[in-house]
Amino acid sequence: MKQRHIIGIGVILLFAVFSIVNFSSSLTPYVTFAQAKGMSGDVQVRGIIVPSSIMQGDNVRKVKFLLRDESGEEVTVDYTGIKPDGLEQATSVVAVGKYQDGKFVTQKLLVKCPSKYQGSVKQE
Amino acid sequence: MRKYGLILWTIGVVYAVFYQVPPAEGLGYLVRIAFFHIPVAWVSVLAFLLAAVSAIRYLQTRDMKYDWWSSSAATLGLGFCLLATVSGAVFAKLTWGAYWNWDPRQTTIFILLLIYGAYLALRSAIDDEEQRARIAAVYALLSVITVPFLAFIIPRYYFSLHPEPVINSAGHLQMESMMLYVLFAALGACTLMFWHLLSWQVGVKAEKYRQINGKEL
Repeated sequence: MKQRHIIGIGVILLFAVFSIVNFSSSLTPYVTFAQAKGMSGDVQVRGIIVPSSIMQGDNVRKVKFLLRDESGEEVTVDYTGIKPDGLEQATSVVAVGKYQDGKFVTQKLLVKCPSKYQGSVKQE
Repeated sequence: MRKYGLILWTIGVVYAVFYQVPPAEGLGYLVRIAFFHIPVAWVSVLAFLLAAVSAIRYLQTRDMKYDWWSSSAATLGLGFCLLATVSGAVFAKLTWGAYWNWDPRQTTIFILLLIYGAYLALRSAIDDEEQRARIAAVYALLSVITVPFLAFIIPRYYFSLHPEPVINSAGHLQMESMMLYVLFAALGACTLMFWHLLSWQVGVKAEKYRQINGKEL
């Protein structure tokens, strides 16, 4: 190990840390409701469903629930589409859509299931 | 002989995945993808590390053999990384509901594919063997620095839809014993398969060298 090798690796590591800090917002697509309010176009908000707030809308393809984002803000999510499996058991949910008039309107939900890698009793 | 043993082992693992592994809580039988997805992801990290270690040996000894090992490992690593990406995207579609979402996990593995794709582009751009081996070795060393960040640190630091890694921050294995045995068997089979492909690739390069130069290296 020559001195210039050590300096070189140091520079690379510094640059790596610098890029991670600077690009950290692009590394993750998820935003909070506060950020979503100022954005046009579809954004992804993640959070947890406020317990027992899931309500079936006036038809089968409508679901509403309260989503609490990472900053603790709770906003009603207005979802149109087929209800994803395991929405009630979801540990986190990502809603892809737009913030409109105090609601978050979405046609796409991504559901994070609790993966425990344990055998389940019920056969599917 | 070793080859047939590996084939039998792989058949055994596939049998176990389909007939012995119970459906997992919340995932059901989708858990089967994990027994492919986790091993290929693990092997790709192993391959990139091996490529870097061989690169160090090359730079120390200037022995072309190490360049063969390093380049074969990096190429295979890219292949396994691609398999992990594709199987992960299918897994994501079935569990989260979208193939590709630019989740932190998906962003970092994409960067990893670009980095090692560039390695191959770099190699193919240099004609002189010695020069190619030297420059590629340095590149393999630099790129391996990013692997721990991209594979382990960033995905754990940011929120991800990706489930808790099996070896999680709490440091204990949260897996049913049957699944754990099968996972280790699958990891073993996948690692041996990688080793087999790697020796074969190095053998091909050695043979090519012998034909061109008329002597062993």
